[in-house]
Amino acid sequence: MIKTPICELLGIKYPILQGGMAWIADARLAAAVSNGGGLGLISAMNADGEHLRSEINKVRALTDKPFGVNIMLMSPYVDEVAQIIIEEKVPVVTTGAGNPAKYMEAWRAAGIKVIPVVPSTAIAKLVARKGASAVIAEGGESGGHVGEITTMALVPQVCDAVDIPVIAAGGIADGRGIAAVFMLGASGVQLGTRFLVAEECGVHRTYKDKILKAKDIDTTTTGKRLGHPVRVLKTPFAKEFLKMEYDSSISNEELEAFGGGSLRAAALLGDEKKGSFMCGQIAALVNKEQPASQIISEIFEEAEKVLCGGTKCVI
Amino acid sequence: MTTFDKVVELLVDAKDCEKDSIKLESTWADLSLDSLDTVELVMNLEDEFGIQLEMNESLKTVGDVVRAIDEGLEQK
Repeated sequence: MIKTPICELLGIKYPILQGGMAWIADARLAAAVSNGGGLGLISAMNADGEHLRSEINKVRALTDKPFGVNIMLMSPYVDEVAQIIIEEKVPVVTTGAGNPAKYMEAWRAAGIKVIPVVPSTAIAKLVARKGASAVIAEGGESGGHVGEITTMALVPQVCDAVDIPVIAAGGIADGRGIAAVFMLGASGVQLGTRFLVAEECGVHRTYKDKILKAKDIDTTTTGKRLGHPVRVLKTPFAKEFLKMEYDSSISNEELEAFGGGSLRAAALLGDEKKGSFMCGQIAALVNKEQPASQIISEIFEEAEKVLCGGTKCVI
Repeated sequence: MTTFDKVVELLVDAKDCEKDSIKLESTWADLSLDSLDTVELVMNLEDEFGIQLEMNESLKTVGDVVRAIDEGLEQK
């Protein structure tokens, strides 16, 4: 049995969070993860407050376990959704794509646990000082918006930088990954890609098939030129985007416009020509569809075995 | 040593900026610093001066940071 401070902090059985993937992490997936003993997350993405409120109500109808909301700080509705989190008394908030400092006081005052995704030690220190309950150190192996530093390098550095629990993300899809980041000092994990193929995940069939088929070298990062790199599968769309990125006759505005709506096209429509199929480098290890609860129990059983065998190299 | 001198020293030491290229009106982009660099810089300045700086959009240039530090020091 694996138990860490994250279990107690969040009131969950297994120290695992499901990534707050935009257009993918909805009430059904979040509830399935929470019912399976982890912390399910709804993505507030770029949608307005009422969309989020309706998803929150749906989660509550499906589970009485704790759940969270991921807030994308670049969303045009960020002020509105930040307020709805408080009104709806959401137990946990994770944040991405920016600095959540300006909302943290109000969230904490409302008794909400705030767990920002941090791409560097300085940001980890900053949010720890503002009262974060934990941080998610997310390495560049992960899917979607990524930083430069890898999980292997980032996690121990963040663990050294702050006194609050660290949750590792990026490049983890099985028990070995969990055991490895625990060795680096993390006390929890966040997985996205593996949950893409959970039975309760409503992402388009084509998206799931692509994840199941993906091999080690099948992802790339687009958007570096625009300052916000995104890890995606090397689909025709991604290849075209990369070509345009290296073409100096194409303006940044044209490039932004070409990429607009591409995650929605992948997640909802499975459109290979216009879709950005975001996923982590670990997609190659994701080979079977299972209920979320089974994914969770299986990977922690495996992690336990790996951790127990960890002394075999010590003589 | 003025606040500006100390900020320059930190930029040269921690971020490998060219000393002569740092002016009060230099923006972060002028110095090739991204958002992660600027958060790190502000955290280092807080430790150095023993003050709290609000990291927000109003800090666009080296001069903005120097002014914010001086205001923080006055309030100390």
